[in-house]
Amino acid sequence: MNQIILEAKNISKSFGKTQALKNVDFYLNKAQIHGLLGENGAGKSSLMNILSGIYQPETGSIYIEGKKIKKLNPDLAARFGIGMVHQEFRLINNFSIKDNLTLSRSNIYKDNFEEAFEKYSDIFSLSAESKTLINELSVGEKQKIEIMKLIFNNNNIMLLDEPTAVLTPQETNQLKISLKKLSSEDNKTIVLITHKLKEIQEFTESIFVLKDGVMVAKDLKTQSVTKNDLITLMMGEIKISKVRKDNLKGNNKLEVKNIFFENNHSNVPTLENISLTVQSGEVLGIAGVSGNGQVELANIISGIEREYKGKVIVNGKNISNQGVRARKNLNLSYIPENRLGVGLAPGVSIIDNSAVKDYFKSRLGPHLSSNKMLDYLNLLIKQFSIKAPDPKAEVSTLSGGNMQKLLMGRELISNPEVIIAAQPTRGLDVSAVEALHELIIKQRDNGAAVMLVSEDLDELFKLSDRIIVLYEGQIVREFKIDEADIESVGLAMAGSIE
Amino acid sequence: MNKYLISKKIVTNDLSTFYSFLIGLSVGITIGSIILLVQGQNPIEVFSLMLRLSVGSIKSISSSLNKATPLILAGLGISIINSVKLWNIGAEGQIFMGGIALNFMYISFEISNSKLSIILLLLSAFIGGSICILLPAAAKVLFGVNEIITTLLFNYIIIGFTVYLVNGPWKDPNSLNFPAATYVGKEVYLPTVFGRLSYGFIICILCTAGVYYLKEKSVFGYELRISGGSALTAIYAGINAKQKAFIAMLIGGGLAGLAGGVELLSQTHRVSTGLSQGFGYTAIIVAAITGMRPLGIFLVGSLFGALTIGGTVIQTMGVSSYIADVIQATTLFGALISQFFFTYKIMKVSEDV
Repeated sequence: MNQIILEAKNISKSFGKTQALKNVDFYLNKAQIHGLLGENGAGKSSLMNILSGIYQPETGSIYIEGKKIKKLNPDLAARFGIGMVHQEFRLINNFSIKDNLTLSRSNIYKDNFEEAFEKYSDIFSLSAESKTLINELSVGEKQKIEIMKLIFNNNNIMLLDEPTAVLTPQETNQLKISLKKLSSEDNKTIVLITHKLKEIQEFTESIFVLKDGVMVAKDLKTQSVTKNDLITLMMGEIKISKVRKDNLKGNNKLEVKNIFFENNHSNVPTLENISLTVQSGEVLGIAGVSGNGQVELANIISGIEREYKGKVIVNGKNISNQGVRARKNLNLSYIPENRLGVGLAPGVSIIDNSAVKDYFKSRLGPHLSSNKMLDYLNLLIKQFSIKAPDPKAEVSTLSGGNMQKLLMGRELISNPEVIIAAQPTRGLDVSAVEALHELIIKQRDNGAAVMLVSEDLDELFKLSDRIIVLYEGQIVREFKIDEADIESVGLAMAGSIE
Repeated sequence: MNKYLISKKIVTNDLSTFYSFLIGLSVGITIGSIILLVQGQNPIEVFSLMLRLSVGSIKSISSSLNKATPLILAGLGISIINSVKLWNIGAEGQIFMGGIALNFMYISFEISNSKLSIILLLLSAFIGGSICILLPAAAKVLFGVNEIITTLLFNYIIIGFTVYLVNGPWKDPNSLNFPAATYVGKEVYLPTVFGRLSYGFIICILCTAGVYYLKEKSVFGYELRISGGSALTAIYAGINAKQKAFIAMLIGGGLAGLAGGVELLSQTHRVSTGLSQGFGYTAIIVAAITGMRPLGIFLVGSLFGALTIGGTVIQTMGVSSYIADVIQATTLFGALISQFFFTYKIMKVSEDV
């Protein structure tokens, strides 16, 4: 029988009012590769941070090799051999590989570094020399050093948070081989946190699934579960509310042709040959787990990101080379995913934030009349029922729902031709979501072309006329709404296309 | 176990900056009084003398306002730059650079019309101030170099440059070895409005109005506020945040340079190491106390001018003029601390929320 090396029982953790983990049980079998599957916000990272001692749970206890640990802190976790590779690299860029690997005091290869380095370079197929500086390495190589660092620090329990997010398919394949060797030859216990089904199935022996902070499946044997089982576990039951879909569609208002985009921070193409059209009176849903190119696509269409190949056409006019303002003048509105920080400027007053879309237009100028700005804000407040007691107060004092209403009101009041809405209702309560959905539908009926980016399948099915699935920067599937079902959209989002 | 949480108040009083200034001022006067008492002086006597000698007559009021002029101009410059949440610690150097640029223009070109000449000289002082902040501004927008450090360090460079000029190429042969440049001619002195009040103060009023418009009412000021709030929102709104920050820094540096030009043409009449008596640093206090509001800078700058004049004249009583500096500094502390309590509230929360 498997030996349990680490066990967490009845773990709960909340942040303010949100409960991230609810009575979660989790355990690891020695020398196995485990998959921890879940959507964004399901609680995967919280759980891993608890196991590595960074967060303290409110309830529950942790046992390592059968011994109860009173209060796990990062130092203690490291001494018990628990190490984590975070999504952002934690390497010192202008230090050599050797310095990075031997930096920690728990380093076990002080005397025989070269020997050990050779052994693990072989396992990871790393060709760089130990004196190479980190900033000369590719992203894939850095990832290997991050994992090697755990080995050099004598971490026998390795928690890897989305390790393949920055890797090419070839590198991913190689990582799989390396990890299997580590678990079988070196007895390492590995946890792979991911939402990619393909990797879960190929890499792991045992699968845990988190859904909304609850562990819905424990220690499933990978060979005995199907992708559809996993999708159902991960997404749960989704009840789809309906809106009228008798909207009349017209001309193509937004056309995007052969967009290629490469982000400098990663060696994986962020967008590859994206082409799509949205008609007047139509809502095109863009489904996908976040980080698969949605933000970049929205930024390219709205004119924020200019370094790309391909064409963006609005109402038949090629605007590929035009900036944000020129696009605004064509009545294109963008509701960005990050409402506070991009859509609204924190630390700046509500009244100033209400004018961000068209402060440069003569309606508010030539100089900015505070009366005109106030009238405009009051119009928004009235029309979109925003609760904003003091116009001069900082925008960050508003509730999330009111912030989003202010942002959407500002972007929608001019009845735009094209609307790009990214995660417009994320983190909001039911009544705010309902109100914001109504706004989008109203704009659709007015003849706007709406591109809705969302991770929320309920929202996508409710509002969209068509759904496109983005996975790793490519359009992998397109569905008409009456031919789409949750399961096939979910499978495509997780990168599994039959 | 209880924890304390500090959070921003949703509604802050419009006049809170003014109230906190008053609180700060009373803190300053209280601490000043304690020091005077310890020294065996009667604070009431000293303060009433200071009051009489700084605002008691037309002559003293105009001296006070002349003293306030460079503080206000440099403070306005700091306030414009702070619209993008950047700090200009280099106003002192920019004041000197303004004087240097003015003197350079004066000795290089001869203009017969004295009015035109004064305008061109002040313009060159403005440009001198801008040049002085050019490198810190470029380093900030191109490479993200911290402007607090670079503007501060430029003070030392410019003051060193001034020392070189007044001991070397510009040294006045008639100055009895005192390190100073030759006086400018009387034809370019700034005329007086009444009493001793220089036209520099009129320039000050115009600049206050101009900066108020620029910051609060213009599209440019709006773009600065948004850029200062969030660089990403600025990009999203189609604002070139770096370009705006760069322009704001040049204007701010220019205003401090103008302060140097006005001071030269109305008070010192020549470049020397005494062109500025720490005006550039006091201006930071003035701007910070008022929460960067142009009208506030005008009022507090005027008050600080009077304090400085009052501080100078009470030396005759055997009281150190530093008492004025102590009051200015403690006023800043008091004002900033009370501003904190106007902006934030402290809540007690229990651990198990």
